[in-house]
Amino acid sequence: MSAIILRDIYKSWGSFEALSNINLGCEEGKLLVLLGPSGCGKSTTLRLIAGLETPTSGAVEINGKDVSNLPPVKRDISMVFQNYALFPHLTVAENILFGLKARKVSKPERKKRLKNAADILGLEEFLHRKPAQLSGGQRQRVALGRAIVAQVPVCLMDEPLSNLDAKLRQEMRQEIRSLQQRLGMTMVYVTHDQVEAMTIADKIILMNDGGIEQHGTPEDLYNRPATAFTGSFIGNPPMNILKSNPEIVAACGVDMPENFAISDLLIGVRPENIEVSKNSGFEIVVSATEYLGADTLIVGRSNDQSITLTIKGKATIPMGEIIRIGWSSKDTHLFSASTGKRVETTNMGEQS
Amino acid sequence: MLGALWLLPVLFAFWSAFHPAEFSTSFELFAPLTLDNFTRAWGYAPFPRYLLNTFFLVTTILIAQFILCTLAAYAFARFDFFGKNVIFALVLLQLMIMPEVLLVENYRTISSMGLLDTIPAIAFPYMASAFGVFLLRQSFKTIPKELVEAAQVEGVSALGVLWKVYVPLAKPTYIAYGLVSVSYHWNNFLWPLVVTSSVNSRPLTVGLAIFGAPESGVDWSIITAATVMTMSPLLLAFILFQRQFVQSFMHSGIK
Repeated sequence: MSAIILRDIYKSWGSFEALSNINLGCEEGKLLVLLGPSGCGKSTTLRLIAGLETPTSGAVEINGKDVSNLPPVKRDISMVFQNYALFPHLTVAENILFGLKARKVSKPERKKRLKNAADILGLEEFLHRKPAQLSGGQRQRVALGRAIVAQVPVCLMDEPLSNLDAKLRQEMRQEIRSLQQRLGMTMVYVTHDQVEAMTIADKIILMNDGGIEQHGTPEDLYNRPATAFTGSFIGNPPMNILKSNPEIVAACGVDMPENFAISDLLIGVRPENIEVSKNSGFEIVVSATEYLGADTLIVGRSNDQSITLTIKGKATIPMGEIIRIGWSSKDTHLFSASTGKRVETTNMGEQS
Repeated sequence: MLGALWLLPVLFAFWSAFHPAEFSTSFELFAPLTLDNFTRAWGYAPFPRYLLNTFFLVTTILIAQFILCTLAAYAFARFDFFGKNVIFALVLLQLMIMPEVLLVENYRTISSMGLLDTIPAIAFPYMASAFGVFLLRQSFKTIPKELVEAAQVEGVSALGVLWKVYVPLAKPTYIAYGLVSVSYHWNNFLWPLVVTSSVNSRPLTVGLAIFGAPESGVDWSIITAATVMTMSPLLLAFILFQRQFVQSFMHSGIK
């Protein structure tokens, strides 16, 4: 059952079209990630679900009810903001209970919910402090606490971790994911970080320029990107998107599809799938190496295209050295140069 | 040095108030101290009544200003309505007009309302303060929209957002403005002089001026005693709230 549905949503401000033809759904109890670069419209989409913006046209449904014209409070949602939006003049306990007081929930019920949330999030010692006395991670938990006590089925998160350092981000995203699963919340999570999306999502919607590029599970997006944009956005380091030429075509061993000329195609291949080969493949000139510990990134140039590959361990290849690289046909992704969309051929290997 | 110069009249007032008349202009170090001047001044004019009037006046003005300016500032800061910019320009226009210029017109208006010689009459022209609207609008604008949205998501109405989010967060501005308003209206002289004519509504400033008028004889020790009585509440407040006073004048510009 879909807890959230957006139908034919368009949103524009004056002549600027922020969203066009958005159709998406999120199932009950699942975590949907809206992923995309800055300015793609993911936050706008979230705010449309929340009711902080109204669509120019189209409908928003939450739990089967058309809420397109309802204010946020009538939609049974809770929201966690990027900057936490904690009231600086209230203590942690008052911040968490802010909404409950506004909605006139009874005092014993408030106490019970506060204790529950404080236990889950480890906030018992901080209940009397003000937000200014808390660290970033603690403030994040207070914002989560405010969402939990509302006890509503849908929780919306707008880049909640982007203000935290990398290590804390990793801890907190796991906490959020386990919280979501434990409480069975339907969650819509906005982020620009594809690592976050890949690690916590049940489904990802990748957006670009106000439209949806692809909608699927993390494996779908990784193994079968629907567009060149998806291919290059997901995965770290990003997929190589190469202008095709006979040399590369021969190296990747894929049959060219019938109605495409070689120049109309883009060839995508992930750095981790490229191997250094002795005899086959084609030549590149090494222009940079980056040692990461577990792997080494090698950046090379061929016919003024830049190609990145990953090698396990430390690789001591001097700059300017010429090496041969190649990869198997099942790791090749073909995209149309004009539309960016995926092109299938016969021998591209098993679908995952 | 400038500070010392500035302080001299106050020092003289204190000196003269606490010493008998003979010593009011001769500064002998061991002259006897007396509270006699105060008791006499207290008796010569109805200072308790004046004090009450002033107190009532500044309190009324302050409360009215807080209410009116808060509502107006909220409208200007966060809502869009027809003619908003024009109306705000008119509000700013008030800042440029010296209230003394409107003396006669205001007198006429108050008179036609039948409110001459009452405390509300003194208060009315000042209640909708452009300065207050401006200060609070600026202060409200600095409050991040996310806080407002968080409150909206939690189900708070527009007025609820004003009371629960904007007002508490603008507290420093309220304190600063309150101090400016109280000190201005405590010391205000010309308009109260024009519009009051009896002890019932006369504030301290006017009472003191009348008291010190040359017709009653220039007895400095009593006059200074009365002056000290008049200014001491404010002086006390200043010493207690020194830091906020200075900050408020710095931030709001001196009116």
